[in-house]
Amino acid sequence: MLIEIIENSLQTAILLICAVISLIRAAADRSRAWTLTFFFYGSGALGDIYWLVCLLFFGVSPQITLVSDLSWAASYIFLYLLLRQTAAPEENGKLRLLPWIGPVFSAAAAVYFMQWGSVLSNLYPAVLMGLLSYSAIHRLMAGERFRKQRLLLVSILVLYLLEYALWISSCIWEYTPTSPYYWFDILLTVSFPIFIFGTKKAVAE
Amino acid sequence: MNSIENTYICLAAPLLLAIFCLRRNGRRMLIFLLAGMTACLLSAYISTFLAGAAAVDMATASHEIAPAVEEIMKLLPLLFYLLVFEPDKKSAMTGALLVAVGFATFENVCFLTAYGTSELPRLLLRGFGSGAMHVVCGMIVAVGMFFLWDQVWLRIVGTFALLCFVITFHAVFNLFVGQTGAVFWAGSSIPLAMVAVYLLFLHSRVDLS
Repeated sequence: MLIEIIENSLQTAILLICAVISLIRAAADRSRAWTLTFFFYGSGALGDIYWLVCLLFFGVSPQITLVSDLSWAASYIFLYLLLRQTAAPEENGKLRLLPWIGPVFSAAAAVYFMQWGSVLSNLYPAVLMGLLSYSAIHRLMAGERFRKQRLLLVSILVLYLLEYALWISSCIWEYTPTSPYYWFDILLTVSFPIFIFGTKKAVAE
Repeated sequence: MNSIENTYICLAAPLLLAIFCLRRNGRRMLIFLLAGMTACLLSAYISTFLAGAAAVDMATASHEIAPAVEEIMKLLPLLFYLLVFEPDKKSAMTGALLVAVGFATFENVCFLTAYGTSELPRLLLRGFGSGAMHVVCGMIVAVGMFFLWDQVWLRIVGTFALLCFVITFHAVFNLFVGQTGAVFWAGSSIPLAMVAVYLLFLHSRVDLS
């Protein structure tokens, strides 16, 4: 449990720092994009704090994971809204097959994860992650139109890949200190600040 | 009949009489306060039922079930007001604030009747902390609902996300205030600090009307 506490504390600290930076930018620029970035980090941080506090106070993870599930779902929704805010969807875009790779993989993974969790708890991350990956790949393929948003789009794909690596590794390996689960989670933690640079570049004049 | 209903009747009766006597703004404000108190009473029933259904004790339910129920119940009067009366932003923001105040007032009175006043500093901090938390949560949802999105579907999705955000904030607060000593003091101070930061740094920058 110690490694889980250390790793969660690190992630919480990074998310909180990023949330504070985003809030300062949102207040200074009165920017909707920065406000959404703040809520993205804030939701993730609150979910982590909730989990961490349960571990510290009671020595176990929450009995009902509704609260932390809602916070992480909110985090993905804010990320999608940020994407919509900074990179509006292409009108009359051509139908492309490649962006569907994300939703298809998410659906397959959700079916695999249903061996362990409930249908609903696996369905909502699949829908949100599928939507995020589809939107990111679709915009990346649109070329020059979303040049300013490229870093944000790549960050979303990195988040998508690391989240799935994390979830799949948690199904395969035990929660030991050497488990790849923790390594992927640390990589995820390190990748969070990239969204600040992504937003900064996306909203730049 | 247990004490929560008695408390509700004692608080709601004068408000209800005043609602019939007053007109326009005064009446509207009291209706919001009463709606907040009613939402709090109904939340207590629903949380207790769900805790029984999920077979968890009340301490666990206070941070795993009650935050979700309370935040949703607090939003319902505001949604009704928005959908039926289609008010302007200023009226809706005032409504959101007053529903939160009504909710916090009733919750504090129930807390007072349940735990007594043996420790005044603790009661003071609990009262201000809980009040500030409900106001902060209500205002986050209301601000998001009116100022962050211009399309209807974005507003619906965004409001749901904000609701999730405040549910988690509320749950973390309940976890902290359920403890004793420094943890309780720190937990109760967080929403107060947030209100202070808003008043000191953001109030002049952000026009919520």
